[in-house]
Amino acid sequence: MESGLSSLLSVSIDFETSHLYFPRIIHWIMAGLFAVILVTKVAPFLVAVKRGERTLPIVGEPMDGWRFFGTLALIVAYFYLMTVVGDMFPYTGYGFLFVSMAFVLLMSLMYMHEWTKKSLTIVVVNAVVAPSLAWFVLAKLFTITLP
Amino acid sequence: MEFLSLLDLTFFLLAGFGALVGIIFGAIPGMTATMAVAVCLPLTYALGLHHGLALLLGLYVGGISGGMVPAVLLNIPGTPSSITTTFDGYPMAQKGEGEKALRVCVVASVVGGLISAAVLFLFAPLLADFSIKFSYVEKFLIILLALSVIASLSSSMLIGIFSGVIGIWLSLIGDYSISDGGNGKTRLMFDFMEPYLFEGFSLLPVLIGIFGISTILLEAEKGVKSDTTNKRIKIGKGAGFSLSIFKGRLTNLVRSSFIGTFIGMLPGVGGSAASVLAYTQEKNLARDSSQMGKGAPQGLIASESANNALTGGALIPLLSLGIPGDSTTAVLIGAFTLQGIQVGPLFIPENPETWYIMMTALVFANIVMFFLMFYAIKHIAKVVMVPKHILYPIIVMMCVVGAYAINYGIMFDVWTLLIFGILGYLVQKIGLEVAPLIIGFILGSQAEVYFVKSLESFGTFSIFFTKSPIAVVLWGLIIASVMFSIVMGVKSRAREKMELTQITGSTQTASGKGHDSNSR
Repeated sequence: MESGLSSLLSVSIDFETSHLYFPRIIHWIMAGLFAVILVTKVAPFLVAVKRGERTLPIVGEPMDGWRFFGTLALIVAYFYLMTVVGDMFPYTGYGFLFVSMAFVLLMSLMYMHEWTKKSLTIVVVNAVVAPSLAWFVLAKLFTITLP
Repeated sequence: MEFLSLLDLTFFLLAGFGALVGIIFGAIPGMTATMAVAVCLPLTYALGLHHGLALLLGLYVGGISGGMVPAVLLNIPGTPSSITTTFDGYPMAQKGEGEKALRVCVVASVVGGLISAAVLFLFAPLLADFSIKFSYVEKFLIILLALSVIASLSSSMLIGIFSGVIGIWLSLIGDYSISDGGNGKTRLMFDFMEPYLFEGFSLLPVLIGIFGISTILLEAEKGVKSDTTNKRIKIGKGAGFSLSIFKGRLTNLVRSSFIGTFIGMLPGVGGSAASVLAYTQEKNLARDSSQMGKGAPQGLIASESANNALTGGALIPLLSLGIPGDSTTAVLIGAFTLQGIQVGPLFIPENPETWYIMMTALVFANIVMFFLMFYAIKHIAKVVMVPKHILYPIIVMMCVVGAYAINYGIMFDVWTLLIFGILGYLVQKIGLEVAPLIIGFILGSQAEVYFVKSLESFGTFSIFFTKSPIAVVLWGLIIASVMFSIVMGVKSRAREKMELTQITGSTQTASGKGHDSNSR
């Protein structure tokens, strides 16, 4: 009996495939937990959704689609253009500086609810000053690499 | 006392500056201490270790403290940990005692911060000394314990564990590093990803993405509404505050500070747990708790001393075991790695100077926080009105700098921000938990090494139970934390059921129609 248990618990790991050993265990645990969650949490939740008591997250909730997807699009454009412009002026950080100015301006405008002359001025000044300050302190004073 | 020669004016200026910026971050609703540390990380790249630490610890202390400002003045907790400050702070502000309430909070905060710093100073070296003898088996069990504690304190243990396991899975992407004794092969990815992901996702972009970008996405989804436009700040007169408020409240102050420190030590448990626990304890144990919730200083004292005591507490497992006590210290791990320092049992014995310097910075940051907030609170209170449309673009910009510069200019790290920003958004939307996920991510790859190496050298699973008495004790603690969670779950479910039957019972007797509309 004793030897049966110890042989059951004994294990040898082949070095060549040892990188897959732990992930495999994690996969099993994940699958097991997921199944339990499906049964105990997700299924009752879906039933409640069907009865109209609860709403699905994200799709069933009210959402400011314009600002949400606008934010995503702006961030993607920001990251992408930073490299493009940065490659035009290598090792200067100008890519970061110029694209950040445009990004800060557009995002501020998108998030603003009341457009008044005063708030517009603040937004424009902020869009010029904030990236310049960040660029000057980080790239010039601290010589940190920027795109 | 050799470390004193390493302290210079810049050091103190940076700690003070950090505290100020932290207070501002904490005071703006929706921005947290974690975000403050994450966003300001790029500033530390160019600083040395000690100066960088001064700045980061200042930010940490300031960020946790700043949350009291909107909590008292606007009834919005600036950071999750000041949720209980709103209960008594806002009623006081409405009575025109805003400044008095804030000053009570400030004094409670500094006491909480200093008590926890003292506990950290005495306790962390002891724990480190003890854990130095740990072999891979015990180290693996410690990580298992950390994860089970986080999971058992999540709102649902099952969800907590699942989130933690997802975090571990994410940390395994990349190679099984040769420097850790692995075979250097990659897994969990397609071949075309290898140039980008050979070493897996970098820690800091992941953290900055989850805490910075996903917060912005969550806000954008709600339309970035300003919650301060229709409210006017009533700060009131400074009169009315005197230290005599604390007379007879010392027990409360000290008890709440220790509760905060202890909760801080538990990995992955956020500040809200500490202040809620301290608040309820005061409510249960105080001789007169009838005024709590209507504007009683004792509620403020409990809440604020507990949430500031988190700072020292959360640093204990970080510095002695290498396990972050909360999400902010998780970002600090990244900052340490950046400076080439491995936190763990050997950190304090091998870097005594850095250790003393950290303590100095922590204590100094608390003192600066006290003076800034006690005397300049009126001016600081104004930052809660800074519009979000100005702040958010700047935050994204700083996140980009932080991620890009971390490995000296790798664009993939910036895209990591977006990937994990979206992931963090989805995780929070579908109801998974961020804290266990992050801790799982940080500890996952170490857990793998300890687990696989233990099995390779001993060749049997039974080693995890029989290696040493410590292993047995650790298993005991793991089982205890799981049992705790199960008992709590059963209790709260029973209570819910009871309330539900009471409600349906009363509506049924009232009218049949009422029951109909209830069930829909």
